[in-house]
Amino acid sequence: MPANPWSVLEERLAQNGGRLVHSHSGAWIDSVKWPCEFAELTHVYVAKNVPESSPTPPASQLFPTAHLSTLTSRGVGATAKAMRDLEPLEVTVLYADFAVAENGAVWHVPASALERTAALLAEHLIVLVPASSLVATLHHAYERIALAETRFGWFLSGPSKTADIEQSLVLGAHGPRTMQLVALES
Amino acid sequence: MGHVDRAREFVRDESRTKWHDESLWFVRAKRDDAADTVPDWEALRDEAATIKRDALSRLPDLWRQFETAATEAGAVVHWARDAEEHNQIVLDLLEERGFRRVVKSKSMLTEECGLNPFLEARGIEIIDTDLGERIVQLRNEPPSHIVMPAIHLKRSEVGKLFEKEMGAPVGLDDPDALTALARKDLRKRFIAAEAGITGVNFAVAETGSFVVVTNEGNADLGTALPSLHIACVGLEKIIPAPSDLAPFLRLLARSATGQPISAYTSHFRGPREAEDIGSPAPAMHIVIVDNGRSDLLAQPSFRDALACIRCGACLNTCPVYRRSGGHSYGTTIPGPIGSVLEPSRDPKAHAELPHACTLCGSCTNVCPVRVPLHHQLLTWRAHLAEGGHHPTRRRVAFGLAGRLFAHPRAYEILTKAGRRVARRLPTAWLDRLTSPWTEARTLPPIPARSFREQMRARARQATKGPR
Repeated sequence: MPANPWSVLEERLAQNGGRLVHSHSGAWIDSVKWPCEFAELTHVYVAKNVPESSPTPPASQLFPTAHLSTLTSRGVGATAKAMRDLEPLEVTVLYADFAVAENGAVWHVPASALERTAALLAEHLIVLVPASSLVATLHHAYERIALAETRFGWFLSGPSKTADIEQSLVLGAHGPRTMQLVALES
Repeated sequence: MGHVDRAREFVRDESRTKWHDESLWFVRAKRDDAADTVPDWEALRDEAATIKRDALSRLPDLWRQFETAATEAGAVVHWARDAEEHNQIVLDLLEERGFRRVVKSKSMLTEECGLNPFLEARGIEIIDTDLGERIVQLRNEPPSHIVMPAIHLKRSEVGKLFEKEMGAPVGLDDPDALTALARKDLRKRFIAAEAGITGVNFAVAETGSFVVVTNEGNADLGTALPSLHIACVGLEKIIPAPSDLAPFLRLLARSATGQPISAYTSHFRGPREAEDIGSPAPAMHIVIVDNGRSDLLAQPSFRDALACIRCGACLNTCPVYRRSGGHSYGTTIPGPIGSVLEPSRDPKAHAELPHACTLCGSCTNVCPVRVPLHHQLLTWRAHLAEGGHHPTRRRVAFGLAGRLFAHPRAYEILTKAGRRVARRLPTAWLDRLTSPWTEARTLPPIPARSFREQMRARARQATKGPR
């Protein structure tokens, strides 16, 4: 492990266009940057494994589209139409298993295809990860991953991006335009 | 038209050649910086090379293991001997479901198989979703680079294309604005897609999982929404165990673009969760494709090239690729690795490619899996010469030169006479007489005495002793 792994992670994540935020379970909502005033958010997806101790936006702000009434921060289950109707999502909040210092990535296993879609269709992505979960390299990461039991899991680092037009970096190619990683101290 | 003619075409625009060269060198420099952040980089290359060589030595076992594990996970595995079988399998999967709208993320294998034209001819809309690939698809041309498909284009050219295809305002050439337009257009197509096709970066035998790497998230979006996921994978992409992914993923993005890791590194195992009430049950089909790979495996001199993980580092560093552009190669995969792979497919058509190389060895030095690229290119030259694939002029010239070099005395007499004549001719004449080498250069002055003559004179002087 490098002497100051979180600052290594911060640098690598920044190279990938993401931003590291240090916070703790009770305060992450105040620590992250929201695209607008928190109370004005209307379309937010919060993964159900975001810890109970973390304050979540009030239920009324959790993706209030009528036929998505079953989709709340604590529940999943939506129709095919609903998956596609996630489209106007402003923010998605995920909870990742652990972070990797050497490349600024987090390992995340979406609870459902819906959650995976929410992570991709949102304009802004916030990923919470326990600060105690940092590993040094991908070698250490794979020691922690049970791939045989994982239907879908991914390393995420930074927002969706492309440099396909004259090598100039553009954030938000298809998915989120920003990505904030929140290291949660317990 | 061969590589030389197409390259000649490309370099005609000098400022563009310089721009292309510098764009790629910029990526190469980023790769160096990224590699420098990993203290055990060289050991990592050894590790990756060893894993691949081991895997290539037991492909049948590993793929059978993969098939069993993937099937257990709910995927259906197909085997395709060649491009035709591959395309037919994909078509059947779509047709039996009546699917007409397909999104595809980047896959050099489906390029190689010509999947897009095949499906389009049968009434299926197939949309490339990687921005670079979408650009070249709309331009109706192949990618010019395996990682950066539109690296040959300037922003103004993309602007003009989007003006026609996406209603961009005239003169728009801001990459942010152009990307935003493509995003909007492609978002609709993601939402409407009935099937998603992806390539595969690594298949894991032990678990039946596979990994797809993108920066845009297009492979993920293209498989999260549609019920059908078709993954097309070349025979060489298998590695034994999950822990083997670590060295490759540490090397891949750093070698390719100089990033510590790509934005999305997705691990798939079986079809996605069924959540869509009333829509088709999610299905995953994996098509394992040979298409000439086992032939390459049977050639000891070239089999190591199957270790390639398609990072593109050898293209970015190659002095010939950088100055002649990907399209000059006339192959699916350009650059050093393409020049090694493609002649085995069609030696006659690609006999010139191993000569599009200065043997500088830079490709071999950057290759994350230690493919001995420039050695293989040299070996190809010999193979192709022996196979009679050289043009007559070269065959005759090399034959004469070979005989001359075998007779030192004749060589000396002939070159002495040649020097005497050449020294009397104007340089401009000589340049025109000699070879394409002097098209943009001039010959050095012809010396009065050959190297041997100079050495002999020295030796004579030495035996006389110091004066």
